[in-house]
Amino acid sequence: MKIRTDKPGRFPVRFYFPVMLLAVLGCMQENKKLPIYGERETVEKIVDGRTETDTIYHTIQDFAFVNQYGDTVTNRSLDGKVYVTDFFFTTCPTICPLMKKQMKMVYDAIRDKDDVAILSHTIDPRYDTPEVLRKFAGDLGVEGTQWQFVTGSKEKIYEIGQESYMVTAREDSTAAGGYLHSGAFILVDKHRRVRGTYDGTKEAEAKKLIRDIDLLLKEE
Amino acid sequence: MTLSGILPGCILLSCQDPEQIKRDQYFTEGNQLYLTHCANCHQPDGKGLADLYPPVIPSEVSKERFFCVVKNGLSGEIEVNGKKYNRSMPANPKLTDLDIAAIATYVYNAWGEDSTYVRLDRVRESLTECGK
Repeated sequence: MKIRTDKPGRFPVRFYFPVMLLAVLGCMQENKKLPIYGERETVEKIVDGRTETDTIYHTIQDFAFVNQYGDTVTNRSLDGKVYVTDFFFTTCPTICPLMKKQMKMVYDAIRDKDDVAILSHTIDPRYDTPEVLRKFAGDLGVEGTQWQFVTGSKEKIYEIGQESYMVTAREDSTAAGGYLHSGAFILVDKHRRVRGTYDGTKEAEAKKLIRDIDLLLKEE
Repeated sequence: MTLSGILPGCILLSCQDPEQIKRDQYFTEGNQLYLTHCANCHQPDGKGLADLYPPVIPSEVSKERFFCVVKNGLSGEIEVNGKKYNRSMPANPKLTDLDIAAIATYVYNAWGEDSTYVRLDRVRESLTECGK
């Protein structure tokens, strides 16, 4: 019977505090949503005699490029997927190797996720043919089609970079390697909306991207 | 502690071997230059990146070839640590002979067996040879 008298002391206050803290943090995590980037407009429409407001978000334009296997990749190939995208070229001597190292970490983190993909655009399509991209992908340790390296018309690639993903990608004879481009990784949701941009040359940013992908998957 | 203990210590500190000081200067400068000009591809630890960019292994490269490759770049197939690589390395025309001596000092001291600095004359001489 003596044992019973000990019972109230078995769960002291100091035990509850961390639990509460965890619960609060858990809720915060749950509610955290990634911002939606780009310009938006609202449209009003009449539904059942009442005025409703709809928000139209900036979305990624339609595209058609060719991947490292010579197959066509379009926006439809990425339907139902969250994807990360970037711009690079295989002979780039400056930030690309850093970006590819970080993207490889992202790739390793998403390999078991069917609804996540990576799309790397070359900004030097003249040199970076599907064959060159395939060799590059292989040497980086990338197989299959979860991470696609795409090439296509230079104008289309620069246009989608500037207008859809909102990053710099163009030729510039004064830049090392001949091209000027952003080192950003862009996170796109299943509705083709930009949900995050990250400095692809920094490990901490790539780790944040990996966490944000999980947040985005929970939201969908 | 007595004076006899402190005095030799002071002398040692104030009279460091000038060769050693120079080696340390080259090493530090070389480390910075390596990080700026080489580490993007070869990585800060010199281990390379997957099968894309080879590791830097001083024991496999003569200093003469090292200077030349750093300055003029490289293309065609090479074998490093038993693995084949075939991706061209850009030239670094802006690096001075002194820069290259510093980078070589860093690489051969940090990852090789060297414990002294690479002399500027040696870089200068072999670079005039390798341009031919």
